[in-house]
This record gives sequence, structure tokens and C-alpha cells, in this order.
Amino acid sequence: MSGAGLAAQDLTLQLGAFALRGVSIAVEPGAALVLLGPNGAGKSVCLEAIAGFHRMASGRIHIAGRDVTALPPEQRRVGFVVQNFGLFPHLSVAENVELGGRARGNHIDVGSTLERFGIAHLAAARPTYLSPGEKQRAALARALASRPDLFLFDEPFAALDAATTLALRDDLARFLREAGLPAVFVTHDYAEARALADQVAIIEAGAIRQHGRAAEVFDHPASLTIARFLGIENLLEGRIAAVDRERIRIDVGGGVIEAARPDTAVAPGQSVTLCLRAENVHLHPPQSSRWRAIAAARVVAIRPSGPLWTVTLDSGFPLIAYALPQTAQACALAPGGFVDAEIAPTAVHVLASPRGAGLASDT
Amino acid sequence: MTATPQSSALSRSGSSRIVYLVFWLLGTVLLAIVVLPLLRLALQPSLAGLAAAIDDAEVRQALWLSVAGAFFAALFAALFGIPLAYVLARSKFRGRGLIGAIVDLPLSVPHTVAGIALLMVFGRRGIIGEPADALLGLRFWATLAGIVVAMVFVSAPYTVNSARIGFQSVDPRLEMVARTLGLGPWQVLWRVTLPLAWHGIATGLTLTFARAISEFSAVVILVYYPMTAPVKIYELFLRFGLDEASAAAVLLLALSLGLFVLFRHFAYGTTIAGAGR
Repeated sequence: MSGAGLAAQDLTLQLGAFALRGVSIAVEPGAALVLLGPNGAGKSVCLEAIAGFHRMASGRIHIAGRDVTALPPEQRRVGFVVQNFGLFPHLSVAENVELGGRARGNHIDVGSTLERFGIAHLAAARPTYLSPGEKQRAALARALASRPDLFLFDEPFAALDAATTLALRDDLARFLREAGLPAVFVTHDYAEARALADQVAIIEAGAIRQHGRAAEVFDHPASLTIARFLGIENLLEGRIAAVDRERIRIDVGGGVIEAARPDTAVAPGQSVTLCLRAENVHLHPPQSSRWRAIAAARVVAIRPSGPLWTVTLDSGFPLIAYALPQTAQACALAPGGFVDAEIAPTAVHVLASPRGAGLASDT
Repeated sequence: MTATPQSSALSRSGSSRIVYLVFWLLGTVLLAIVVLPLLRLALQPSLAGLAAAIDDAEVRQALWLSVAGAFFAALFAALFGIPLAYVLARSKFRGRGLIGAIVDLPLSVPHTVAGIALLMVFGRRGIIGEPADALLGLRFWATLAGIVVAMVFVSAPYTVNSARIGFQSVDPRLEMVARTLGLGPWQVLWRVTLPLAWHGIATGLTLTFARAISEFSAVVILVYYPMTAPVKIYELFLRFGLDEASAAAVLLLALSLGLFVLFRHFAYGTTIAGAGR
């Protein structure tokens, strides 16, 4: 495959004790792929390999239809943005941008480039004195001045506070939409991935564990390990009790949960793990629910987390839910009290347990 | 005395003031040991004595030789020491610690010992000195080349160590970014790495120059004639005594101090009165 975007196939390399093992990712122009994984998973190494900083044992990389596998970094035409944005501290903003343009012999109008990014007034400033937002714009302006075919972002927000990150993330998403270039964004932060990704690739121990559309990966993790990494709050082990045309019923010990029937083969008696996000557990005052509620869940604990309350329930099995303060009030939530917990069957993702067969297996 | 969390800010600042006062007193002892002899020396020669020393062609020649030798020693350290510093800072290899120790070795070798060792290598019958003379006509005895070799031996570690710290302070990711912007490895070195490591490099070169211009032992053993300023001062002291020697000594002191301040100023905008930037 060698379309207009990025196609990296079977990237394999050894770096001391760490190995990248057969990594393949693809990104279309205008789309953002988020490479998501825990620390030490190989996200940055993967990005650096695409940029040309590691000798690979095997694999091919195509960027904008060009085979760049054998090219040095300076000939690959990638815009690389690193943590803290990587501006050269000994050069002014204008000189940083100019360097990005001139190195490849491009004629660029530095003034109008800075204008476009809203930082013309900072042309003579040294990067040290810039705010994070200004740094990001300067870094993007510089990268764009080098006329890249691909953008690579290596945790640019890692050192910033939450509020700043939020603002910069929106800025970046807008920029990427307008630039129409493929982008690979590395992060270990689930929320960041959720906000930026069109596509997601989960990387762990140097190998891609799951790769697909963002919503697909986030809602249907391929394994328990991924589900845990994605922070899915409710992971319940159970056994399939009954299967009908659209639904399956799963016995989870102290109760039964209904789930939409997965595409894969299922049979009664099979061991499975249910993945259910806390935001998909809806709370109602006791006995008011007309839906398939798990009636009379006992409230074990309530604690504030940001604007929401995290509610720990006992429905015969442990369950975690989020509640808005007004919901908490309407339900008169209090430890020891009772509440109705409603779970939409379509929100339940069914994973085969490690020893089970069929379904998505834990690899 | 332990400050509890309940103790007032006033008493805490009071006790820290006492710590500062004690430290200042202790530091002043050290400063006195440095300043007092130099100040006393500066007041020793009469104006007529100073004028006579300036008028002395041999003294002028010795001063010039010291400056030229130190300049070439610093140049040599830059040319061969900065690349070594870069390698030590940026690559991991077996034996890196050993090479680092070799670089530091001249700092712990007595300089008379260094002079004798250098004589065995660069002297008339030295393992390099003899063939260099026979094949190239290059002599390390009675020449500026010999003075420079002795100066390099004792002063190069300052450049290597300081430049190494300078290179280590440059984020390798900045170099990566520069590569992706289209710069080749040499361009990255020239336009990103060296400018960012400059503070360390400049400090190292300044210290190398300062150490070289003041070197006596290693130089005097390898090259007695022509005399550098420290050797000339020693000779004046032996032949004529304190007054004659002190005039030349003050001239060397003024010259080294002046150049030192000048270098620091040009290298990274620091004045003797305080830190710049």
C-alpha cells in the first residue's frame, strides 16, 4: 500500500533490550492516528523510526506515495513536534520558522507565516519567553514551513497543566483539520487520545495490539489488557446463560446482565468478561425505572471526581457509575441507600475470557 | 536547633541569617588567601621598575611567547578536544569511563612529572621528538611548538570536560527536530548543537587559555629557552631578587587578568563585576 498518507509496514528493530516487533500502521491524509500505550511500550521509538532515526531490521515506510525506508530524516519530509515543542532556544521565533523553510531550499514568507498563526508580534522573541500556546503555534509554523508530507507529535503536552492542554489540544485539532496532512500523535493519556484521534493504534511491548477507528477501539477493546489500559471501569467476569437472536444473557455471579449479541460465535456456558464504561451505567431513583434496570443496587461509596460523582454500587456484583450532582440529588444517593442502575445492552462489550474460545481473544 | 512547622517566619529567617553570616565569614578567609598576595604583589614594584620591565625586550618577548603559546594551546584543545567531548557526551560505549579518566589524568599528575614525561616523548631523543625532527624538521625543544605541547598537556582537560557538559545539556530531541526540518548531520552540529553548547565550550577554552598562560613546571622542563613569562620571572627572581621579578610578575598578572576578563566577556557576556545574561 502506498497511498497519499502514511503506510508503515512490519517495522521491526532492536534497540538495546527493547524491540519493535512487526509494527504496521496506516494513516490517510487529513486523519490523525493516535498511538496509545503505557510508558515504555515503544510509542516514541515507533515515531522516531518513521522519522528515520533508527536502523530497522525489516519493514517499509511510505510517506505520500514515496518509499522513504532508506532515506535519512532530513529527506523524509516529516514535521516533528516533541514535548515542550522543541523550539531552538538560541534563535528567535522568526529564525526558527525561517530555519524550517530554508533548510529544504523552500522560499517562504516568514512574516505572513507568522501572521497566519497569529504570532507575528513575537517574531523577534526568544522561545523561552513564550507561553505554551505561543510555543505550539511557533512549532507548527516552523514544521509547516518545511512543507512536510506527514506530522509526527511526540507527547507535546506531557509537561503542561490540564487547562492549558485542553486549550492547546483544540488549537492543534483545528490546525490538523486545516492542514489536511496525515498525523501520528503519541500519548499515554486516554483523554488526549479520545479528543484527537480519528484512528487509534494500541501499542504495548513493541507490538500493535489493536488498530482501528477511534470509537471502535475505545468501545470494543480487543483484549482484557487493552480494556484495562483504556481505563474501562467495570470489567465483570461471567458465563453466558442464554443466547437469543439479538441478545445474550450473562450470569455474573450475583446477577444477570444483558448484552447485544456479538458478531462472533457464542454459546451458553462460555466464560466471558464484560466491559462496561461507568458513564453507561445510568442511575434512577429506586423502583422508578421502566427499563431493564438492575433494581435495588446498594450504594457502597460516593466520592467526587471533577464535576461528577463516582458511585460504587453493589448489585450482587461490584459496579461503578458516574452521576451528575443533580442526579445524585434526585436519587438521594447516600452510602447504604439504594438506587436503580440501568445498563443499555448495546453499551456492554463482551470479551472471551482468556481460556474461552470464539469472540475476541486475549492476545 | 530544629525549626518546627509552628515556628514563626521571623525566627526562621533569623536563624538562616546566622547561617549566611557564618558562611560569609568562612568564604572570606578563602577570598583573602587569593586576593591578599596578588594585591601585595601589585603594590610591590615602583612605577620606574614597571617601566623598566616594559622596556626590557626579553620580558616583552617572554610575555608574547606566553600569550601565543596559550592561544595555540586553546586552539589545539578546540580542534581536538571539542570532538572528543562530543563523542563522550553523546555516545555510549565500553571504556567511556576510562577515556574520561585519561582526559582528567593531567589534573592529578604533578606538572614537573608531566614535564619529564613530555621530555621523554617530545625531547631530542623522544619517541616522537626524534623522528619528527628527522622527517619533518619539526622540533619540540627550544621552540614555540614545545611550549604549546606542554601547555596542551596540562590545560586541555578543562576544554574537554567543560565542552562535554555543554553538549550534555543540549536536548538530543532538538537535534532530531532539526534533522526533520531538512538539516544534515553537519548542519545540525553547526547550527543547533554548537550554539547551544557554546557556554560550556567557551568556559572550557577560557580556562584552558588561563591555565596554559600560567604554566611553569611542564614548560620549563621541556623548553627552557625561549623563556615564557613564568620562566622569565623565575629566572629574574633567582638572578636579581624580588624587586626585579615582581615588576615582570605584575605585568604578567595584568595581562592574564585582562585577557581572562576579555574572553569571558566575548564568550558569554560575563563581566568581572557580576554574571551577565
